[in-house]
Amino acid sequence: MIFNYLTGTYRVVSNYPGTTVEVSSGAAKDNAFPFTILDTPGVNNLIPNSEDEKVTRDILLSETDYRVINVLDAKNLRRGLLIALQLIEMGLPVILILNMMDEAKSRGIEINLKAIKEVFGLPVVAAVATRKKGLEHLFPALKDCPKSTFSFQYSEAIEGGIASLLPLLPPAPISGRSLALMLLAGDETLRPWLEERLKTPEMEQIEAICSQYRKAYPESLSYRINIERLEKIDQLLLRIQSGERVSVQGWGRRLGEWSTHRFIGFVWMLLALFLSYEFIGVLGADLAVGFMEETVFGGYINPFLIRLVKAVIPFGIVQELLVGPYGIFTMALTYALALILPIVGFFFLIFGFMEDSGYLPRLAVMSNRIFKIMGLNGKAVLPMILGLGCDTMATMTTRILETRKDKIIVTLLLALGVPCSAQLAVIFGMLSGFSPWIVISWAAIIAGVILLVGFLAGKLIPGESASFILELPPLRWPQMKNILIKTLSRIEWYLQEAVPLFILGTLVLFVLDKSGAMASLELWARPLVVSWLGLPAESTSSFIIGFLRRDYGAAGFFAMAQKGLLTPNQVLVALVTITLFVPCIANFFVIIKERGWKMALIISGVVIFIALLMGGVVDWGLKTFSITL
Amino acid sequence: MTSNPDRLNGTPEQHQGHRWYGGREVRTREESIDELLELIWILREKGVTDLNSLLQNTTDPEARAVLNQMMGQGLFEMEGDILKFKEKGESLAEGIVRRHRLTERLLMELFEMSEEEAEEEACKLEHVLSPAVTDSVCSFLGHPPVCPHGKPIPQGPCCKKLTGEMKPLIRPLNDLALGQEGRVVFISTRVKDRLEPLSSFGVIPGIIIQLKQRRPSYVIQIGETSIALDESIGREIFVKAV
Repeated sequence: MIFNYLTGTYRVVSNYPGTTVEVSSGAAKDNAFPFTILDTPGVNNLIPNSEDEKVTRDILLSETDYRVINVLDAKNLRRGLLIALQLIEMGLPVILILNMMDEAKSRGIEINLKAIKEVFGLPVVAAVATRKKGLEHLFPALKDCPKSTFSFQYSEAIEGGIASLLPLLPPAPISGRSLALMLLAGDETLRPWLEERLKTPEMEQIEAICSQYRKAYPESLSYRINIERLEKIDQLLLRIQSGERVSVQGWGRRLGEWSTHRFIGFVWMLLALFLSYEFIGVLGADLAVGFMEETVFGGYINPFLIRLVKAVIPFGIVQELLVGPYGIFTMALTYALALILPIVGFFFLIFGFMEDSGYLPRLAVMSNRIFKIMGLNGKAVLPMILGLGCDTMATMTTRILETRKDKIIVTLLLALGVPCSAQLAVIFGMLSGFSPWIVISWAAIIAGVILLVGFLAGKLIPGESASFILELPPLRWPQMKNILIKTLSRIEWYLQEAVPLFILGTLVLFVLDKSGAMASLELWARPLVVSWLGLPAESTSSFIIGFLRRDYGAAGFFAMAQKGLLTPNQVLVALVTITLFVPCIANFFVIIKERGWKMALIISGVVIFIALLMGGVVDWGLKTFSITL
Repeated sequence: MTSNPDRLNGTPEQHQGHRWYGGREVRTREESIDELLELIWILREKGVTDLNSLLQNTTDPEARAVLNQMMGQGLFEMEGDILKFKEKGESLAEGIVRRHRLTERLLMELFEMSEEEAEEEACKLEHVLSPAVTDSVCSFLGHPPVCPHGKPIPQGPCCKKLTGEMKPLIRPLNDLALGQEGRVVFISTRVKDRLEPLSSFGVIPGIIIQLKQRRPSYVIQIGETSIALDESIGREIFVKAV
C-alpha cells in the first residue's frame, strides 16, 4: 500500500505472506525526489527462513546507498521491532512507519512515538495506510534520513564471536557486526555471497570460529540471538507501549475464529467452494463465455474477419492459416479471449477476494491434515488453490514453501493433477451434457491420484518436510478497488503469457495438419490411444495439442463430444487422461526456471506415465465391470 | 544407592552403595542409614522382609552395626527375623524413596539422561534434597504416580494437598484448556528448523500465549498475532498456566 502511495503505481498487495515473491520497483512520484523505490517481500526475520526472506536480505546486501522504509504493524510492535533492530544493527538509515495505528488504538494499545524517536534516534511516522493517513509525512522524512544512534550489547559469548569474526569479513553495504551475527546464526544462504569475496583460508577460519561458538549453544545460536534481541525489545516496550490491552471481540475476530473451527470451518469451506463454483462456473463459464463466444466472436468478429481475410488475401493457404479450422483468429484467439479469458478473470477475482480477506491462510489450517498425508503441510494449499487458476503462476509461488522436498512435491502435483481454470472450464462445458456420475467419478479419480502420488512422493523423495508454522492475519473486508486492480494485473499477465502460446500452438497444429504429419503421428500413437485408452484415433491430435496448453487438449475433446464422437465412457477416460496429462509448455518452462532441467524432465516423464496408466486403468475398469455411464 | 529392582535378585556385588572421593571411600553414618532404610523399603515392595535377605542384598560392610543403631533410634523393630518399620522409620524411608524416584523421573524424562547416569545422580540427591525442593519437583512433574521403572512413588504432602485433578505445573501447550493462557517456560525440540521461525514470531520463554483451538490445527495467539501450528510443535512448547 505504502509503495503504491509513494510511486503512484499499483502493485499486488495482499493479506498473506508470499504475495510479493518478486521485487517490485518504481520511481518515486515526488519530482524533487530522484529515488527508485523497491518493494521487497514482507519478512519476520532477516536471518532467512524462507525464500522471500532471503530475497529481502539479498537486496539489502547488494544495493548501495539506499534508505530503508521499515513498515511496522502498530498492534504487533514487538515483532516489528525485531526487524527494526536488525536493520539498525546493519547500520542503515531507516525510517519507521507505524502502520495500522487505528487498529492498535481500538485494541487499547497506546504507543509513545516520542519514546521510539528517542530510543532509536530515527524518524517515526504514524500512519493508517489504507486511508492514506499520515503518509504525507513520509516524503519529508525521507529527505533527511539519519542513521540510528542506538546499539545494544549481546551476552559476552556472542559479543566475543562478533569480535573474532569482524577482522575477517569483506566490506559490505551493511555493517560487519550484522554480517557476523548472521554467520554466527548459521545462515547458510550467506555462503555464496561470501565465497565471491573471500579466499578459501579465510572462509575456513570463519567456519572454524562459527562452529566453535555454535557448539557452546546446544539449542542453536540463532535462537539464542533472537531471544536476546526480543528480551531487549521487551525492555524497550515498557517505555514505548502502554495501555491495557483490550481484546476486541469484533465481528472480524469472531468470523476469524469460526473460519478455522473444526465444524463451522468446514461448513464455511464448502460454502466458499460452492459460491466460487457458482461465480466462476455459472457467471464465468456459462454466461460470460456464452456471450463472448457465441455473440461477440461467433456473431460479429469471426464472420467479419472471415469475410475480410477472404476479400483481401487471395492465397488459400494463408486464408486457412488465419481463419481456417486451425486458424489463428478462428481457433487461437477465439479460445484465448472468448473461452478462457472470462473464466480466468472470474477466478482471479475470487482468488483476490480470498487473498485480501485473509481467508487463504485459514484454508491452510483446515487442510493441514490432508496435506500431512502427502508429506506436506497446510502451506501447500496456497499454490494448490492458485493452480486451479493457473498452474504456471502457481508453480512460481512454490517459493513460499520452505524445503526443497515440499517444493518438488507441490510442483509435481500441480503439473500432474490440478486442472487450471481454463481446462476446468472446458471440462465442465463438456460434461454439461452427460450424467453427473461422470463428473463425480472424474473428480474422485483425480483427487485419489493426487493423494496417492503425493503420498508416494512424500515417502520416496529424500529430505526434510517443513514444520507447519503459519501466521493467520486478521480477517478483513477487502477493498474492492484493490481486488479489481489486482485481477486486472493478473489478467494482463495471463494474456501476455497465454496468447502467444495459443498462437504458437495453433501454428504447430496447422503445420502438422497441412504437412500430413498429424496423420502419421496419429498412426504411430494409434495403438496407444485406441487399444490402451479405447478412444477414437482422432483424439490423438488433442493429446498432441495438450502439450501446448492443457485446455487446448480438453477443448479438442470438447469439440469431439459435441459432434457425438465419444461415448460417455470414452468421455471419462479422455478427461481423466487429459487432466493428468503433461503440464502445458508455459508451466514446463517455469518448472525449468524454478527447479532446473533435470527435475523438469523427470516430472514431465512421471506425469505422462501416470496419465496414460490411469487412463488405461479407467478404460479397463469400465470394460471389465461393464459399467456404462 | 540403587533402587533398581532388577539388580536386587541376589547378585549383591552390583549393589554399589558407596562413592569414591580421591580413591577413599567416604560414607557418613547418616548416608548408611538412608541406604539401608531404602533397601528395606524396596525389599518390602517385593514382599521380602527377613533380615537374612537384607544382609545378603547390602554391600555395606558395617550393615549389622548400622542396623543396631537404627533399632536404637526406634526406626524399626524385629519380630523374629522379620523387619518391621516403626512410624518414624517408615516416613524416613518413604521420603528417601520418594526423592530417589522423583529425581530419576526428572533426569530421565526431562533431561533425557541415560538410565545409568540418572541412577547415579538420584543416589546422590536422595540424601540432600530438601522437602520444599522435593515437593516442587513433584509438582513440576505433575505428581507422577510411578518412577521410570514403573515402581510407585510415595506421595508427599504436595500430592495430598491436591484435591480433584492433578495438573502438572509445567505442561505442553497442547494440554492447556481452550482459551487458557500460559507462560512459555522452555521449548524442547529436536527439530532444528522450528526454534527459528517460532522465535521470529516472538515465541520465546517468558512470553504469554493463549491456546485458541486444537482442531483441525492448533492455533495460538500472542498479543495480536495468531499462529497456526502442528500438533507436534505444540507438544514441544512447555508452558506454565497463568
